Amino acid sequence: MSDLPSGAAELRFDGERLSLEGESRVFQVDARCVEGTPVAGAYAHVCALADPDAALEYDHPEVQQVRRDAMAWWIPLLGDSLVCLTTLALDEARYGGAITVTAEPVPWDQDPFARIFPGTVLRSDIFCTVAPPAGPVVERYAGVAWPGGSF
Amino acid sequence: MRPKAGEKLPDIELPDHTGRIRKLSDVAAGDPLALLFSRGWWCPKEQRHLREMTAFQDELEVAYARLAVISVDPPEVQAAFRAGLGARFTFLSDADREWVEKLDLLEDTDTIHHPYRPTALVLSPDLEIRRVYDGYWYLGRPGREDLRRDLREVSAQIRDDFERS
Repeated sequence: MSDLPSGAAELRFDGERLSLEGESRVFQVDARCVEGTPVAGAYAHVCALADPDAALEYDHPEVQQVRRDAMAWWIPLLGDSLVCLTTLALDEARYGGAITVTAEPVPWDQDPFARIFPGTVLRSDIFCTVAPPAGPVVERYAGVAWPGGSF
Repeated sequence: MRPKAGEKLPDIELPDHTGRIRKLSDVAAGDPLALLFSRGWWCPKEQRHLREMTAFQDELEVAYARLAVISVDPPEVQAAFRAGLGARFTFLSDADREWVEKLDLLEDTDTIHHPYRPTALVLSPDLEIRRVYDGYWYLGRPGREDLRRDLREVSAQIRDDFERS
């Protein structure tokens, strides 16, 4: 992946590990989540697959709905535990998953993003604290993973 | 200062319904913003109006426009009220009544809750006040059509490509 839009950063996932560099599947994330002071030992719920065919369009109704659910109750449920949250973009139009990062274990089985791609819980030192988006969800077509980007 | 059209609203900083401190400019996030100063969860008029606004949020999501509520309810009460409404927009809590006095929006006829006088503002992303609605009487509040018109006007002014020249 090259020519990243402003506000995006790359993240890799091989099904078991997250990394900023390497050969595994590449996703675009909201750059704020990986470009500040990282939270050591955070819990990352990665709702994505290493399979390159695992993708949906952002316009898919279920992709729209999980973001609404995140705003409605998932983010409030996480409370102060939330470190950051980002969808995983493959390009301007395609969704590859999402990551919710918390400082401590939370009820991952309720993560709405796991309805699309199953979740894997990992410990990670990559992610930084980013305030969750203010609602309502506003669609962006700037090519940056939600909730980042601007119009 | 009582909010007046043409003036800038201060970049109010308050805890949201999850307890996180938010600036109003961050809530607007570059979009037009409808800001509702609301009494609180107990008021039947607020319940009715916010059900109307909750129905409007589906449209705002695809219209690149924002909606937020400020009331004197504490964050945990706002969170419960918001969940009951099914709202996905942001509530800001002025439980300490810091801004209700500064903005001269205290509803002096409610001596129990000391809430905001219901007031709706339509703001540009830089928090310039474009329209003020006094909602003390229910019919003074903006409905969906009113906000659609106001937010369209702001959008047309701030989006270079809103209409083809």
